[in-house]
Amino acid sequence: MSDGGPLVLIVEDELPMRRFLRASLGSHGFRLVEAGSAREATAAATSHNPELILLDLGLPDGDGVELTRRLREWSRVPIIVLSARGHESDKVQALDAGADDYLTKPFGVNELLARMRVALRHAAEVGQPAEATIEIGALHIDLARRLVTRGGAEVRLTPIEFRLLALLAKNAGRMLTHRQILQEVWGPGRGDETHYVRVYMASLRRKIEDDPARPRILVTEPGVGYRLRDG
Amino acid sequence: MRYVWTCVYVALATAAAWSARPLLALPDLVALYLLVIMAVAVRYGRGPSVVASALSVVAYDVFFIAPHYTFEVHDQRHLLTFAIMFAVGLVISHLALRVRRQEQEAEAATLRVRTEEIRSSLLSAVSHDLRTPLAAITGAGTALRDEEGDLSGSQRRELLDTLCEEAERLERLVANLLDMTRLEAGALEVKREWVPLEELVGSALSRIEGRIDGRPITTEIPSDLPLASVDPVLLEHALVNLLENALKYTPPGSPIEIAARRAGGNIELELSDRGPGLPDPAEQLFEKFVRQAPAGTGGVGLGLPIARGIARAHGGDVVADNRPGGGARFILNLPLGAGPPATIAPELETPP
Repeated sequence: MSDGGPLVLIVEDELPMRRFLRASLGSHGFRLVEAGSAREATAAATSHNPELILLDLGLPDGDGVELTRRLREWSRVPIIVLSARGHESDKVQALDAGADDYLTKPFGVNELLARMRVALRHAAEVGQPAEATIEIGALHIDLARRLVTRGGAEVRLTPIEFRLLALLAKNAGRMLTHRQILQEVWGPGRGDETHYVRVYMASLRRKIEDDPARPRILVTEPGVGYRLRDG
Repeated sequence: MRYVWTCVYVALATAAAWSARPLLALPDLVALYLLVIMAVAVRYGRGPSVVASALSVVAYDVFFIAPHYTFEVHDQRHLLTFAIMFAVGLVISHLALRVRRQEQEAEAATLRVRTEEIRSSLLSAVSHDLRTPLAAITGAGTALRDEEGDLSGSQRRELLDTLCEEAERLERLVANLLDMTRLEAGALEVKREWVPLEELVGSALSRIEGRIDGRPITTEIPSDLPLASVDPVLLEHALVNLLENALKYTPPGSPIEIAARRAGGNIELELSDRGPGLPDPAEQLFEKFVRQAPAGTGGVGLGLPIARGIARAHGGDVVADNRPGGGARFILNLPLGAGPPATIAPELETPP
């Protein structure tokens, strides 16, 4: 174990999963604390003050979503939720409760490390002045001048399309739920009209993707939300 | 209720006998009543058949034996007829019941045998297909652990690839088994939302990205296609299954085409390939555990039944036929529904 790496709290009751996480994260220089239940997790989060939490949603003594909500009452620590396939509503609930991202089990170590890097980067950016411009491949977004170019040519976006793209770009690499996008782009009180997001997403893709039916930049996670692919 | 119907039967028989009186002799009438008693016994069981026997004797006495419309009987011979009629009625009803029970037992036995057959074919298919990847994983894992020093770099790489690929295969298999079980138990919850099909095609394609093997995939989805009212997670799964089927049965490099259109009250999504085409009849593809590919090439024959099950849970269907010029074509259709609540179309939004 090397010191100095980010401290990660692993909340997972399955021993084989813990073993896998311990081996793969340890070898990448992360320092680890482990908890096998929601109660242990609360204690460990308070006493160790981790820089990132990996949280399995299926804990024996309680609800991972509830734990996320309680942690968010006092902490901004990035939380990445781990959950099985077919539990999309749990993922959405966890994200809406304040989790930063999620991974569906089984996942590969590269995927895990990529999500952890994104979450740590976003946590480090909090409080910093936001970047004025964002580059994603051939796409260039100038947030201050509300200007988007693709390969040098201007892309004409409607105000809502621009707000949508800017929101996803500011959260590059992170999963945003339909509800979060609705609230940020359309304002509060539109929790259920997810087809607004979908319709605008489709028109945005037609303007910035090479093939809107095979998006490379704006990735869909069915039943959960969208992610702007990072790099 | 059964007793009410019994009375109706006897009354109908009496009415029939009454109107046919000039044509029929008394023994014919007795036979008619016995017929009705048998019918009641078969349909409604023991109690009603006893009541039918009694009612028949009474009706026969009142309407057809002099003096009419009384219970009185002048000719003593008729009392014997009544007794025999009642007794035969009871025997018939008893026999009819026995036949009925035997039939039910035979049906139950056939059902048991079929269930057993299905279960054992399911078990053998599943255990074989679960064991194959497990054997590969165990083999590769132990080789890496126990033979570490003797393995060359490329051998290690190969074993590690085996581990990952077989684990992925196992995951897909378990997912399909789970979904099939849910579909069959009717426990599938369809959470409908208004979704552009393009989005679902996009995420299904990204899901199979790593297994495309140079097959050119073209998509043709009109931008004015109406939104579909579907469960996005389930429908994406159906699309992934159709795509995986195409990947399984076409050689690398052979093209796959996806096209969507509005067809009357439906949205149709067509997925065509240039593979070997479909067996005859194509319907068998949608039966569980039926597969064309040699064992070991992947699935267990659940992908297409699940895709169809999901489409049907949405009020649609998946059908398959052969394409002119070779290859298979699968069409997933979904009812359009009433259309989503109004949205401001992006093109109508005021420009900045």
